[in-house]
Amino acid sequence: MYGVKAGSCLIVVALSISVVACNGHEIARRLDFNQDVQPILASRCFSCHGPDPEMRKAGLRLDLAEWATKKREGRRDAIVPGHPEKSELVKRIESRDPHYLMPQTALGEAKPMGAYEIAVLREWIKQGAVYRPHWAFEVPTRPAMPHDIGSDPWVKNPIDSFILAKLKKEGLEPSPEADKPTLIRRVTLDLTGLLPTPDEVQAFVADSSADAYEHLVDRLLTQSTFGEQRARYWLDYARYADTYGLHYDNSRDIWPYRDYVIRSFNGNKPFDQFAREQIAGDLMPMKNLDPLIGSGYVRLGVSSNEGGTIPEELRVNIARERTEAFGATFMGLTVGCAVCHDHKFDPTTQHDFYALSAFFNNIDEKPFNDDRPVWAPVVRVPKADQADAYNRVLSHRSQLQEKLNAMQFDGGKSVGEWLAFHKNPARAVSTSGLIVRLRLDEGRGDQLRNSAPNANAGSFKTTTMKPEWGETTWLWPDFRMQSSTRVLLGQTADYEATHAFSAGGWFMFRSAPFHPGSFGTLLSKMESTEHDRGWELSADENGTLTVALVHQAPKKGKPKKKEEKKAPAEKPLVAKEPFNYPTPQDLTKKDLASNKPPEQLKAEKEEEQRAKAKAKAKAKAEAKKKKSEASATPDESLTEVSVRVVAVKPLSLDNSWKHIFFTYDGSGRASGVKVYVDGVQVATRVLQDNLSQASIRTDAPLQLGWRNPDEHPAKDARYQDIRLYARTLAPDEVNRLPFEDYVAEIATHPSAEWTHDQSHIVTAFYLSYMDPTWQRIQREMAYLDEQLDRLSAGGDLTLVSSEKPTISYAHVLTRGVYTARTERVEADTPHFLPPLPADVPRNRLALAKWTTSPENPLTGRVTVNRMWYELFGTGLVETTEDFGIMGQRPTHPELLDWLAVEFHDSGWNVKHMYKLMVMSATYRQSSKANSKQLARDPSNVLLSRGARFRMDAEMVRDVALESGGLLVEKIGGPSVKPYQPPNIWEQVSYPTSDTVRYVQEHADSLHRRSMYSYVKRMAPLPNMDAFDAPARDMVCTRRQRTDTPLQALVTMNDVQWVEAARALAERVIREAGPLPEERINRMSLILLARVPSPQMAAVLEKSFREMKEHFAGNPKDARSLVNLGETRRDSSIPEPELAAWTMVASEMLNLDETITK
Amino acid sequence: MKHHPLCSDCEDKITPMDLPIPDGLKQEWAVSESRRQFLGRCGKVLGWASLATLFGEASVRHLVRAAGSNLQAGVGGNTLGLPHFAPKAKRAIYLFMSGAPPQVDLFDYKPNLVFQFDKDMPASVRGNQQLTGMTSGQARFPVAPSHWPFSRHGQTGTWISDLLPYTARMVDDLTFIKSTNTDAINHEPAIMLMNTGNMNAGKPCLGAWLAYGLGSMNNNLPTFVVLQTKTNPKENNQPVSSRLWSSGFLSSEFSGVGLRSVGDPVLYLEDPPGVDRGTRRKMLDAVEEINRQTLAEVGDPETNSRIAQYEMAFRMQSSVPELTDLSKEPASTWDLYGPEAKEPGTFAYNCLLARRLAERGVRFTQVYKRGWDVHDNVVGMLPVLCQETDRGCYALVTDLKRRGFLDDTLVIWAGEFGRTVYSQGGLSQENYGRDHHPRCFTTWMTGGGVRPGVTYGETDDYSYNVVKDPVHVRDFNATILHCLGIDHNKFAYRFQGLDQKLSSPVPAFVVQGILG
Repeated sequence: MYGVKAGSCLIVVALSISVVACNGHEIARRLDFNQDVQPILASRCFSCHGPDPEMRKAGLRLDLAEWATKKREGRRDAIVPGHPEKSELVKRIESRDPHYLMPQTALGEAKPMGAYEIAVLREWIKQGAVYRPHWAFEVPTRPAMPHDIGSDPWVKNPIDSFILAKLKKEGLEPSPEADKPTLIRRVTLDLTGLLPTPDEVQAFVADSSADAYEHLVDRLLTQSTFGEQRARYWLDYARYADTYGLHYDNSRDIWPYRDYVIRSFNGNKPFDQFAREQIAGDLMPMKNLDPLIGSGYVRLGVSSNEGGTIPEELRVNIARERTEAFGATFMGLTVGCAVCHDHKFDPTTQHDFYALSAFFNNIDEKPFNDDRPVWAPVVRVPKADQADAYNRVLSHRSQLQEKLNAMQFDGGKSVGEWLAFHKNPARAVSTSGLIVRLRLDEGRGDQLRNSAPNANAGSFKTTTMKPEWGETTWLWPDFRMQSSTRVLLGQTADYEATHAFSAGGWFMFRSAPFHPGSFGTLLSKMESTEHDRGWELSADENGTLTVALVHQAPKKGKPKKKEEKKAPAEKPLVAKEPFNYPTPQDLTKKDLASNKPPEQLKAEKEEEQRAKAKAKAKAKAEAKKKKSEASATPDESLTEVSVRVVAVKPLSLDNSWKHIFFTYDGSGRASGVKVYVDGVQVATRVLQDNLSQASIRTDAPLQLGWRNPDEHPAKDARYQDIRLYARTLAPDEVNRLPFEDYVAEIATHPSAEWTHDQSHIVTAFYLSYMDPTWQRIQREMAYLDEQLDRLSAGGDLTLVSSEKPTISYAHVLTRGVYTARTERVEADTPHFLPPLPADVPRNRLALAKWTTSPENPLTGRVTVNRMWYELFGTGLVETTEDFGIMGQRPTHPELLDWLAVEFHDSGWNVKHMYKLMVMSATYRQSSKANSKQLARDPSNVLLSRGARFRMDAEMVRDVALESGGLLVEKIGGPSVKPYQPPNIWEQVSYPTSDTVRYVQEHADSLHRRSMYSYVKRMAPLPNMDAFDAPARDMVCTRRQRTDTPLQALVTMNDVQWVEAARALAERVIREAGPLPEERINRMSLILLARVPSPQMAAVLEKSFREMKEHFAGNPKDARSLVNLGETRRDSSIPEPELAAWTMVASEMLNLDETITK
Repeated sequence: MKHHPLCSDCEDKITPMDLPIPDGLKQEWAVSESRRQFLGRCGKVLGWASLATLFGEASVRHLVRAAGSNLQAGVGGNTLGLPHFAPKAKRAIYLFMSGAPPQVDLFDYKPNLVFQFDKDMPASVRGNQQLTGMTSGQARFPVAPSHWPFSRHGQTGTWISDLLPYTARMVDDLTFIKSTNTDAINHEPAIMLMNTGNMNAGKPCLGAWLAYGLGSMNNNLPTFVVLQTKTNPKENNQPVSSRLWSSGFLSSEFSGVGLRSVGDPVLYLEDPPGVDRGTRRKMLDAVEEINRQTLAEVGDPETNSRIAQYEMAFRMQSSVPELTDLSKEPASTWDLYGPEAKEPGTFAYNCLLARRLAERGVRFTQVYKRGWDVHDNVVGMLPVLCQETDRGCYALVTDLKRRGFLDDTLVIWAGEFGRTVYSQGGLSQENYGRDHHPRCFTTWMTGGGVRPGVTYGETDDYSYNVVKDPVHVRDFNATILHCLGIDHNKFAYRFQGLDQKLSSPVPAFVVQGILG
């Protein structure tokens, strides 16, 4: 018998404890570490003696048994199991000496524990100080039903057994079932978000069959409003909004995701599939676009395009946001706490956080959203009439993609066979004439090694500003020039025009917002102050490549155009790009305009016309000027003498890696220059061809990214494997440069020694260049892609995810600062949870499968808990977003586990779970409380009665619209803009934002369900905001439920509610008899599903008479009131009468009971 | 002594019955106290707690604490016990200069820069600083000295740009901090950091912290009011967003309430056309009667709260129009604030409104003035910006002073960062631009808690680096809290298992050198 007196009831820890302690009972039971002990240790000790090593004091860690009982040099034992009197911990917490006493704050201030806490810790140590893993990290098993409960007539399903067992333990009885009107209103609101119609109420009340309620529930579960209601919650969990949320806060196209969510719930898509599609739909097999549209989930968070933003900062923030969102929604963990340091309470380390973030760090997107509604990657959703044809092609493509994935997966094996068969089948490019090879794989520092065998200079030092390393990986972790970094290569390649040479390498441009100047010089030995003498490889803002060999050029002038030679038609690609991934769809101007208000479109059109006119005028003026110049004496020094060759087809302006190379034969002729992209010669045009033998030599140094002196930069560009040969490379050599040459080099080492990056490259090379099957499938897919484009023409665009072909990784950042990189970590799941299978690619698909695997202890619990929260107002774990150590303990742990296992065993059947919950006797209880329940279960944690709470914002509005018959029954589609007071957007927005002006829509758009209202993150709809609707800046898994005067102002005065009140008034006048009581009854039936009590009816009747009298005497007021809103009033009803009924309806709409579920 | 009804481990047991509040409110308290056993889980208490706003500041903090704490807070949490010490200021007005004013053209006088015109700023001054994407590609960083002369003012002889003749008149009342500095270099993160102590969204702003911690001093007006100044379309108006006045993880009732110059001053305040006050009263009487029936029948304390909120809404409907009715302002007001103050939405109008809010006991008023983002055309735009704001600032401070409110009102003037001394874009004798600069900027405070006539902190010759007494945003906020009687280290709210603070997580220090 364990016996400890609990001294007082000062501290309420968790329910089970508070009951024990506050009733002054003795602790006469075996303590449970998770229930009783860990909450005390966590809140009182872990901030200094927990998982975070930075904060740890005295080397003592109390969250793990092996640490807590470990000998520490020169210190007394903190915990001696079985011996509280020998345990330093007990001495400290019981001490009265303020310097010795624990716990203390970080500032050294004593914060003594309460008597109960001390008693528990003492007793726990006495019982052997047994640790257990945190409850939520253990896989749930189906608990046994509480015995002796099953036969109780109150019990309707297993949920009730658990609830009843606990009630009995606390000496309580459950409440009787609510009356039928209450029940149908409650369950209809919960399952559809809307009211039952009076007919439905009457039919249900009249149905005396035993399964009347079940029939009702089954019917509600098949209504399409069920999917809307579930989606409304899910959009909070997924942080859905219609704008980007930062700076311009521009619109974005992602509403098809919302339709996808509704569709998924209505189709009762198994939750595991639903979750997997959102995390990694782009990597899954597809029969239709749903998985891909669902993957828009990843990209729902806020993003920016602020002008001065530093790309790396943005990229880090985006990955962080996605990781935190994933943590909150799917894992129920506050992983974001580990951004800066190891989590103070949970075992989540910083390493865990960044490894998890790596999954979200590999999306094929620019960090800037360009302030355009379509931030690639996006997909075009086919129109309904093309959907079938589209889906057939899509599934075919998907099958091919699966084949490719399998080939990729087995790539190591294929490569092995290939290598075994040929000794080194990849052919290296001769290093003859190679004088510069900057691999740029140093990974750190400012010294760049020249690894060319014939190099004059062995290394170069960067100047001005240090470069950035390893932000992305291509052949190896890459090198980026900070905007002010200079790489001066001295007098390397100091050639005359008669000298043959070739140069280029791997480049990746970063187009920062407003700064297309990220395109510019790639490689240059040119002196630009006098006559631009020298040679250069560059790209302009349109992505057009130019190779120039210049003797002299007119300063600040355009090269004079000579007659253009027709370039030969571009040859078909001999090999496709070595990696395969979806390219962003072609976006037209029309796509970009879709979300702009018509006024703005008009203004832009006018602006465009003005600009055109201006350009025309300018051209005219220039022509005139030219004419006058031509008549003047020509300045000989301005004559251009050069060779200039440009590529016909511009490079795409995305942030992909491109291998860019040119060869020159020393002929002094344009025909001697060949330009290659990704190893393939591209068609060129000749702009200038009069160099002949004129000198191109200059003192200017050879420079990466800049022309000398500092001009025409390719800002923030990335480079890898830059080469310069003092000879003309043959086409087949250039063809091998991007990959084969490198693969040949790797293959000289045994494959066991290859790094992960190297294996990846060799496999990719083998498949793309050597494997005929792979090549055939690629060609086939290209054909299918064309078909898909055609079949989706005119469809809507939506943001989706698309994985880059490279390896997912991230850097651990000291204190979360994006520049303070430490370790590079590959994607992985947190160490304290089940591991990923060893041999799967570490990408989002692996994460998605892991999330929904039976071994995952969190997903099921977290999800059923949120279902419970939706129906009962509070989760079994109150902190729906935090199942970690600092989160709430479940009030009914066995029930939670039972539900989680049931969810899994049912095949993640969502409707089954909702049905189970609403069919329970627990759910059906009356919410009226008796005095015993109030005394013993004041806050209804034990569920001794039905839940009663205010509806969410959207429901409050939808119910008002529905009651007046205004609600438009239409599922899905783009967001709408209903009534909103003036100057909400205008007063906060950036003036050139496309959401600077709120252009209210009309007709149906005014009365759609609130879940379709446009969400601008910087200025959410104020009437929804007043009722605690979140701004969707971040995940919200449980809303606050406040009660403020601003809410009263909304429901009394907002035109939507006044219009709804009038419509409700008209409806009862139309539907009910002429007597006031008949109309009041009808109103009550509509809103409350019941006839009013005599007292209530009396109040309303009296009010009606007063109002009628008032408006009869003030006909102008009556007219003003009934004409509010855009729906036309029923003119057959006299205005004073309608006004009076409108006020009565408004009273009804403002009742506590009306807005409460 | 009785336990505080909502406070399971409350040590300073206060009963509202002992507080100097109207008897009617005590009665309401009694009703609710008799139902205190209904209280419990977070959601319900939150609603219930707002009822307590009726009781004023003394009791709200305890109610709110109970509301905010979920169960684990009962283990480690301590009572708010605010203020921690006798406050110098009871309320604060924050004039927020969004977009970032150029300190070197307004306050941070660097006479020697004229000799540096168009010379490159030494690389040693810039160091290895990460620049914004807007100037990082510039090949040169030419020094642009201020276009305007400075002169000395007041007994303190403080140097002020001639662009600010009104501010110049009150320099002896002001406390300048020339060494304010921040971590963020772009608007979005910087403005979040300045307002909420964190660059990422989701944390409560200063006003919400004060509303949470100190509560209301007026039963009929919001505790925390936000005023937006009408934008001047010629200016570069960086956006602001509702998350700047959001309550973050605190209950949303502590969010700032916008007082607007267009439409209803408070959203949905006005009764619909055709509904006069008498009709509204009758309607509310009927609603209340039925709600009382519901309360009797179901016994949910939430219903009780709703009844109270409807009454408060009704009172707000009269108190807010009274607040914004400037017709009774004496002629001296217009002499002071100038004719612009009559036009709703101007900065001067907002300053006048801020004074009226302070008089009525509104705890925290934040006035936003956008447009300071002068990347180019400083010479063209800065005089406009100064003309728009200079007189209003002076009028507000002077008005508070002459009405005896300055002693217990803290007035704060700040943007989110400073601007570079080197020119962004082309520099000429006639014009220049300035990019974002986080390493130093000038802010000022005056009134309750701070010492007048002080200039604190110094920057180098280029107004680029702080060389003496740096004041980080964290310290700045900690100092504001201090003036309002709050120890920033103790002012925490437990969220996600952590004691979240306005100034956390890096240590912050009250700037002792400016305290009065």
